[in-house]
Amino acid sequence: MSGVRASTVATHAAAIAAFLGVWELAMRQEWLAQTFFGQPSGIAAYLWDGFVTGRRLWRDLGYTVAGTLISFVLGSVAALALGLVFVMFPRIERALDPYLTVLNAMPRLALAPLFLLWFGLGLGSKVAVGTSLAFFIVLANTVAGIRGVSQDLVTLSRSLGATPRQVFFKVTLPSAVPVIFSGLRLALIYSMLGVVGAELIAAEHGLGQVLAYLQSTFNMNGVMALLALLALLGMIVTQGMTRLEKALLRWQ
Amino acid sequence: MSDPMGAAISIDRLTVRFGDIVAVDDVSLSIGEGEFVSIVGPSGCGKTTILNLLTGLVPLQDGRISLLGKTPVAGNPDVAYMLARDCLLPWRTTLANACYGMEVRGIDEATRTRRAGALLARVGLAGFEDKWPKQLSHGMRQRCALARTFALDSPVMLMDEPFGALDAQTKLQLEDLLLELWSAQRRTVVFITHDLAEAVAMSDRVVVMSARPGRIVADLKIDLERPRHVRALQKDRHFLDVYAHVWEKLEEGLGSTAGAIT
Repeated sequence: MSGVRASTVATHAAAIAAFLGVWELAMRQEWLAQTFFGQPSGIAAYLWDGFVTGRRLWRDLGYTVAGTLISFVLGSVAALALGLVFVMFPRIERALDPYLTVLNAMPRLALAPLFLLWFGLGLGSKVAVGTSLAFFIVLANTVAGIRGVSQDLVTLSRSLGATPRQVFFKVTLPSAVPVIFSGLRLALIYSMLGVVGAELIAAEHGLGQVLAYLQSTFNMNGVMALLALLALLGMIVTQGMTRLEKALLRWQ
Repeated sequence: MSDPMGAAISIDRLTVRFGDIVAVDDVSLSIGEGEFVSIVGPSGCGKTTILNLLTGLVPLQDGRISLLGKTPVAGNPDVAYMLARDCLLPWRTTLANACYGMEVRGIDEATRTRRAGALLARVGLAGFEDKWPKQLSHGMRQRCALARTFALDSPVMLMDEPFGALDAQTKLQLEDLLLELWSAQRRTVVFITHDLAEAVAMSDRVVVMSARPGRIVADLKIDLERPRHVRALQKDRHFLDVYAHVWEKLEEGLGSTAGAIT
């Protein structure tokens, strides 16, 4: 097993190294314009300076990560709570459904300027965008997960004499966890997208704000470095959720 | 038919309609305590409906039902219910699933674990206590469901085609297992099936119902000796005679719809 893994890792490493090598070569030979694509050595130098020598990027990274986590937690908790209310009182869901559909149809990034006015340039407006994205994803999955419970299991439980409360905690909720979890995973990614997107528009700190600045000053090495960093951040977040899911849902 | 006074279950002039459709038409049936009664019939004959009424999950419309002297209500502790689908909770281990019924009925944990453990051993699942349902075969899952059902001390067991989804070999094994568990305690069993051979091999009585509207067309005593071994019975002369006789009665009663039964 580990032999296979090591060789897979080696193959990927070789492929990436080859890609970066060709890229670097293309820039040095001036086959492509430096101004538009940056070059791997320059990107590495930017990251080194940002995290090791100059250390300026740590603070921005911290703002983005904090914004993401706060958005995720706020959005998810609110959505889980409202999802439960919807399942318990379907009439509330029916009443609110058209409004929620309209709100969810709105491109959230287009609301960012408004949120900036309401919540300021700081973390508040970023959290507002991230939360609004995470909320709807988790809400939809919570309701779908709870509704998707196997009726056979409910019938059996009721025939055994389970109270509605027992049915909920012993059957409905555990059976909804996988669906809710896939919503949470997506919500975490979208929280990050929302936060970075809002930072791109206007912010005091954060990776999105740095990215916007680098773009406007044509610092392509910096732009590429930040894109790579955001991709890495997204991957770490997804991996973390997958691990947690595996630990929680061993029965699947 | 046995005396309704000593009956565990008595159904009196039961009629069930779903909209304009008459699903069960004027059915009266009395089942004695400790009796193993099968109800056979083509799909749609209302056999499952009758069972659901006995569990109390479906409200009574017309007629009377008495189960140990009471009108059925959902969650009646006198009743243990088993379905064709194993209905194991996928997030519970084998042991926790076998405990589930007792847990819902508020039996303390030590008793639950002891009783479930013993039953799992009897159904051949010793060593599988910590496995998840997805790690078990269909037959093993249904064994676990049997353990969950027998772990309840309900005097009446209602079984809705519990082996309907199993392959022929596994089915024979589980039929024997059920008879073995049943004969130790002789609880009252109402067993729904569309498999006539299964019904004859297991039961004291076979009640045959017609296609919609569901009516009782035959009620036959099966005088095979007990203890029975379903697998051995498959080649037994007397069993085959009884089976042929029941089949004949069934065709008489059903007329052209008999083809729907296997």
